[in-house]
Amino acid sequence: MAAVIDLRNVSIGYGADAPPVLVGVDLTIERGSFVAIVGPSGVGKSTLLRVVSGLHEARTGDVTIHRDPRPDSRAVGLVFQDPRLLPWRRVARNVRLGLEGLAIAAADRDRRVEQALKLVRLDGDYGRRWPYELSGGQRQRVGIARALAVDPEILLMDEPFGALDAITRHGLQDELLRIHRETGKTVLFVTHDLEEAVHLADRIIVLGGGGAGAGPARIVRDVANQPGRDAIAFRDQVEQLRSGIADNYSI
Amino acid sequence: MRARSAIPLSALGVVVFLLMWEMLAQSGIVPARLLPSPSAVPGAFLSEFRSGTWQTMVMASLSHYLMGLALGSFLGIAFGTAAALSPWWNAFQAWVVRMLRPIPAIAWIPFAIIWFGVSESAASFLISLTVFWINYYATFSAVRGVDKDLIELAHAFGQGGLVPRLFKVILPGALPGIMSGLRAGLGQGWMTVVAAELFGIPGVGMRMMEASGLLATHIVVLYMVTIALLYGVSDFLFMQVQNRVLSWQR
Ligand SMILES: Nc1ncnc2c1ncn2[C@@H]1O[C@H](COP(=O)(O)OP(=O)(O)O)[C@@H](O)[C@H]1O
Ligand SMILES: [Mg+2]
Repeated sequence: MAAVIDLRNVSIGYGADAPPVLVGVDLTIERGSFVAIVGPSGVGKSTLLRVVSGLHEARTGDVTIHRDPRPDSRAVGLVFQDPRLLPWRRVARNVRLGLEGLAIAAADRDRRVEQALKLVRLDGDYGRRWPYELSGGQRQRVGIARALAVDPEILLMDEPFGALDAITRHGLQDELLRIHRETGKTVLFVTHDLEEAVHLADRIIVLGGGGAGAGPARIVRDVANQPGRDAIAFRDQVEQLRSGIADNYSI
Repeated sequence: MRARSAIPLSALGVVVFLLMWEMLAQSGIVPARLLPSPSAVPGAFLSEFRSGTWQTMVMASLSHYLMGLALGSFLGIAFGTAAALSPWWNAFQAWVVRMLRPIPAIAWIPFAIIWFGVSESAASFLISLTVFWINYYATFSAVRGVDKDLIELAHAFGQGGLVPRLFKVILPGALPGIMSGLRAGLGQGWMTVVAAELFGIPGVGMRMMEASGLLATHIVVLYMVTIALLYGVSDFLFMQVQNRVLSWQR
């Protein structure tokens, strides 16, 4: 399998003088895999995604997408932790954002917007609504549709379902698994929810060792996972991860 | 108090104000030359309207106002945006701005006359100065206040270049603040119209000076009321536009 995302000895920080948030990150992600990144809040999960997406520059080390250090922003689709919609654009125009400036016929573009909205079950009249006319969960789904509309090979998702109710979350988890299976997209999925990680991912990366006053974080576990396994094995995996995080967190 | 139920009370306030003014003027305590009665204003309007003076003066003032408003608003928004976006430009112009800012538009009258003569352009220039500063500061803080997360969003979705970032995120995000600057400029602009015309540029202000020279105070009051109405109409029209433009706000 070919590596699509490659991080070599990467450290990341904000501001030149501040201590780094993450150090010694070595991470190779293969095409078509579904990788979950878990860890306590503030450990640097969003920061790691920001670097992979090219929004933030690593302090040291190499970050490449398809061996390219400066990939096109459309190679990756980013779903933020918050919906982050432009409030002055109706839903469909929000979903269209990443398609603007591309050489696509208008009709084609509209069709892709419609398809993306359909994938998150917001087709029909929703496209014409203002963001403020949606519920929080619907807004988050628009953010997901916006990333899907670009049809990126890599989906970077930052706790995309964190703020949703359980029913919507389960529906969207299944939807995401289906999209992943059908399109073969590579997914890098941040969550603080171990159950969610074990349910979705074929590989789970645990960040730890950081936190207030605890110095920079690093990758403390990198385990294979079988999504959709039976209940007992599922619980074992979750427990194992949980104790692993607890061990590293107290260091 | 709810807005709807406040209307009758506000209307009552106006009636009481006018009645008291009328009573004071009628009582003879104050000579009629010094304080015209409000009931004299409709008569003044009819005579000014029949002679065509009112229309001429209002049209002249309106043209100074619109020219100055357009120029001052455009330049204020442009310079305010540039200063908010470019730290380099902001530092470069900071002290010049601090030097020029405290000078009121009226203080520029001598230069306005030297540069433009007693002309339409002189009045428009003075009005645009007033309007410029209001829009400059309103736009500066509105642009600075745009949500940084939305700018990150623009970068993430291939809209990070200056032009798409400016027109798809920064200016729409700053629009509510820019609009309130425009609205404030709209009001301050009318005040400068009168001041700018007082030194002889044809318009409402000049007519007020003429009338006061003849002690025709009821005519002065007529044009004061005219200015108030013109301001009221322009503010109302602007609010209609604003409500439409900002309809995406909850
Ligand atoms: N823009 C920023 N500037 C400075 N520090 C930041 C910024 N964003 C995040 N941090 C810091 O980096 C650390 C990791 O944050 P983040 O990646 O958001 O954590 P997580 O997503 O795992 O909850 C935290 O200590 C946070 O305070
Ligand atoms: Mg986060």
